[in-house]
Amino acid sequence: MSPLPVAGDLLLSTGIEPIVAWRTWALTGHRDGTGLLLRPVAGRSRPWKPMQPVEAGCKHARLHSAPHVDCTCGLHGTHGLDILRRTRCPAVLGRVALWGRVIEHDLGYRAQFAYPQLATLVCQFCFWQWGTHGIRPDVVGWFARDELVPLCWSHLEQAQRYGMEPRRLLNADEIALGLRETYAIDPLVRW
Amino acid sequence: MDIGRPKRIIEIDPISLPVPMPEFPSPTTEPLREPAPERTPAEPADP
Repeated sequence: MSPLPVAGDLLLSTGIEPIVAWRTWALTGHRDGTGLLLRPVAGRSRPWKPMQPVEAGCKHARLHSAPHVDCTCGLHGTHGLDILRRTRCPAVLGRVALWGRVIEHDLGYRAQFAYPQLATLVCQFCFWQWGTHGIRPDVVGWFARDELVPLCWSHLEQAQRYGMEPRRLLNADEIALGLRETYAIDPLVRW
Repeated sequence: MDIGRPKRIIEIDPISLPVPMPEFPSPTTEPLREPAPERTPAEPADP
């Protein structure tokens, strides 16, 4: 990459290798564990279609293309894992390839194109409390609107105690395998 | 999620896309079609 000065404090570089960053997703699927789709954790954005590059969009699309320096639009990835513990209801943790126009920030990136590379299911409560230590879920709860929530036994019990009762329980290993096959990606085994 | 201030812009044009390609059947591995069985005239039914 060869940095060139551009307007403001930002430098402009070029590259031929995608950047790989950390990311979390929400997960949806049918009651039988089919139709698995990764979705952004924030808002009601469109799902990431399997086997296709995802292209960023912006609600201000008439004004600028995504990602834009003065906006928050673009497909996000982060340098580290810790910041992702604060994301809302993550179901999947993984590595994502970013390319096209990529804006690098202090703690991560916003990109024009993206596709997942590695993924693992996470119990969102374990991930929030303890980071990546012991986040492996035992089951995946199927909820209304096809929302899938991976949980360990302990947090499933707590969720049920507080009225968060899944309509159906699915095997976490089978969902993880189905997700990897759907997107043709590898498991995330080290971090 | 707050990822801090922007530092630089990178234009990345990858040599190969990091997206798996769908598998198409190879012409050499496509199974050969068996010829349709010849039609023979139906034998007359026994009276």
